[in-house]
Amino acid sequence: MVNVTKGVLVECDPAMKQFLLHLDEREALGRKFVLNDLDETHLFVSADIIKVLKEKIDELLDKISVPVHE
Amino acid sequence: MGILQHFAECKSLVDYLKTLSNHVVDDLFGYPAACLAIFRELPKLAQNYVLRILYVEQAIPQAVISTWVSKAHVKEHSEAAEAISTLRVWKEVTMQGGLAGWMLDHKFRHNLKVALLGGGKQWTKSTNLDQDSKPRTVKDLDLYALERWEAMLHFLTEKQQKSDTVSKDTIMTLTHAGLMEQDENNAPSITNEGFQFLLLDTASQVWYFIVKYLETVEQRGLSTAECLAFLFSLSFATLGRDYGTEGFEDNMQQFMQHLREFGLIYQRTRKAGRFYPTRLALNLASRNNKISLDTEKHKTGFIVVETNYRLYAYTDSDLQLALVGMFTDFLFRFPNLVVGVITRDSIRQALRSGISAEQIISFLKMHAHYEMIKTAHINNPLPPTVVDQIRLWEMERNRLTFTDSVLYNQFLSHRDYEVVRDYAQETGVLLHGSDQKRTIVVKGSGHDDVKRFWKRHSKNSS
Repeated sequence: MVNVTKGVLVECDPAMKQFLLHLDEREALGRKFVLNDLDETHLFVSADIIKVLKEKIDELLDKISVPVHE
Repeated sequence: MGILQHFAECKSLVDYLKTLSNHVVDDLFGYPAACLAIFRELPKLAQNYVLRILYVEQAIPQAVISTWVSKAHVKEHSEAAEAISTLRVWKEVTMQGGLAGWMLDHKFRHNLKVALLGGGKQWTKSTNLDQDSKPRTVKDLDLYALERWEAMLHFLTEKQQKSDTVSKDTIMTLTHAGLMEQDENNAPSITNEGFQFLLLDTASQVWYFIVKYLETVEQRGLSTAECLAFLFSLSFATLGRDYGTEGFEDNMQQFMQHLREFGLIYQRTRKAGRFYPTRLALNLASRNNKISLDTEKHKTGFIVVETNYRLYAYTDSDLQLALVGMFTDFLFRFPNLVVGVITRDSIRQALRSGISAEQIISFLKMHAHYEMIKTAHINNPLPPTVVDQIRLWEMERNRLTFTDSVLYNQFLSHRDYEVVRDYAQETGVLLHGSDQKRTIVVKGSGHDDVKRFWKRHSKNSS
């Protein structure tokens, strides 16, 4: 029998993938969302988490970006 | 990026003509000016072919034409032949004895002769036009063209559109071109494509706009071929000379009123009986379509960018400020100078409205101040740190790509896995496949198809 799951394929760099796995493990978004760990640069996640995920990543990038001018 | 694709499609005159239907091209060949303009656009070798067979009133075997070029240049030959065919200047015919031949389009042949040798009807009755009591100089015309064109661009940038500066026809064209759309209040507002459009150079803007305008002329009861032919005639006109409007039909008068509004031609009044083409119209159909409107108001370079991300714009034009403001935070404004700073937030805002980093950079390059060009390399007047950082800010947004998809796993056998994977690959919906895990990810849109295939497959094998 074949198992069929609907979701969203995420393609990213390895560092970003580790960050996503980290968020998933710690349930930082309230629950687990990674459905399948495909390879170094691909993850399969549930579709309804995307919006929150994008916000979270924007937040992270805002935090680690250093203003380039005074 | 929709607009970039459109540009790729109709970047040049030749590419645009390819998109026209057969009967429009056929009508177009009825105008000598159009034939000459098309002839001018052909590759050199193709021009040679056309001239050689211009007076041969019959089909020429393809084999004969290919002997005109030495064997070493077969590639150039096929390119030239291809260019002539795609413009429908000659047609492939089968000659007596089954030989494949080429035959110049009859109308094209006739009207190119007219264009090259003279004859035919005059396109305007300018010869019996008396001296203009208030003649316009080239500088007046450049100013006028710039003012009209900027009025339209400015209309695009305004937040609260007041439609007193541009007409309904212009708004209609802008909407048709996808540069504006109706918002909730039924007022036109700028789209992502519109933002990208604003950052282009004037020549590309005019070309894109006119191409989109021509798509709408049929709805207005004008003929595409007639309008195009008129534009071609304009492109052979002399800057600073006036031409008579006498003898133009009502529909062409209407077309001229549109061109007048876009700033392609100048008319003092609707009934003046004469018009002046401006630089915008003259350069429309020429190969090197670089338009430089030489006016004091519009200095080419006005932007200075420093390595500390400060941006100085030496301008008092509201339009230019609005453009720069799309990706810059302004700090101070003086009568002829605006100081701003490029920040991550300001760039991200621009990226969100659909502008790409490359467009911002090319805009800055295009308008780099003379002092910047002088001190740095001519092709790269901007500080590399700023350029790189703008690109990085863009890449940061694209670290993740999301695709709606469907995952299949737990196949019973490797054979089943392979069958589904190969099918998905063939239909072009496969996103990811892993042999070890027997896992397949396909596009969401392809799911139904793959599901049907799988059902069929498992029924057959069981």
